[in-house]
Amino acid sequence: MRYWRKRHEGLDLEAELRAGRPEPAPDFVHRLEARVRNDGRRSRAGSLRIAFVGALTAVMLLALASVGGVGYASSSAKDAAVSVKRVVTPKDVIKVLKRGPAIDQYKKPKAKKVKKAKKKGQGTRGRVRARTRPPFTG
Amino acid sequence: MLRRDPLADPAPLIKRVYAYAAYRLGDGPDAEDVTSETFERALRYRNSFDPKKGEPVAWLLGIAKRCVDGGWSKTEYATEDVDSADTTDLEEETIRRLTVSRAVSALDERDRELIALRYGADLTARQIAELLGARTNAIEVALHRALGRLRGILGADEAEAVRKPSASE
Repeated sequence: MRYWRKRHEGLDLEAELRAGRPEPAPDFVHRLEARVRNDGRRSRAGSLRIAFVGALTAVMLLALASVGGVGYASSSAKDAAVSVKRVVTPKDVIKVLKRGPAIDQYKKPKAKKVKKAKKKGQGTRGRVRARTRPPFTG
Repeated sequence: MLRRDPLADPAPLIKRVYAYAAYRLGDGPDAEDVTSETFERALRYRNSFDPKKGEPVAWLLGIAKRCVDGGWSKTEYATEDVDSADTTDLEEETIRRLTVSRAVSALDERDRELIALRYGADLTARQIAELLGARTNAIEVALHRALGRLRGILGADEAEAVRKPSASE
């Protein structure tokens, strides 16, 4: 307690607390510092890898987009999807959705008018004439 | 956007966390254990650090505080006996440090924590207030009182030291 006896008057306790701040052993600091730095390097390498993959993807997309590859790829995908759908869907369900000239050409034929049967007792005039005339050959 | 690494420069942070732990638990292996544990947790959660919420040292001290409160605070404070024999400058320096350390150990938990944060970790009253969820004024007053109590302990030690030789005579 000699120290305090000597310097009790005008003692700056705050300065003493700062000056007497406990210090870790240098060996302990070095070990812990190395541990922290190693971990940091590992995590930085991981994030760099992710950033590299992202950048590479972006560059590839840009290169494709510049030559219209994206549109081509999307239309190919659409065609493939349509083909698959056609194969998978049962035939009786397939419907032609679009109208086109082909539909007009192959329209359903009109139903023929059915002649009414003649009533009995009208005479034999018509039938006789049909029998006597030669057939029309055009 | 690249995130700022809170542990980019670990050495000064290690020293400040250690000083905090040593003021709370005493200089030695317990303080080293708390410091190591603090940095292990910090490494595990380094991506969760938000610079908007404060400095990296405040973040680390928050972790260290939880470590100490979570179990180490029950351990006995590590102190060494101070012998006031004839001393050289180096010895006087050592004795001074040990005397301060012993006086800090005699403080209650709350005062010791404030002293550790202010003079060990070198945080400002405002940073301590943010860390402890209190008002800056309240922290300043509490620190002033803690220093007063510390002075009282040192004074009592001095009186006892004066009494001892006279009793032995």
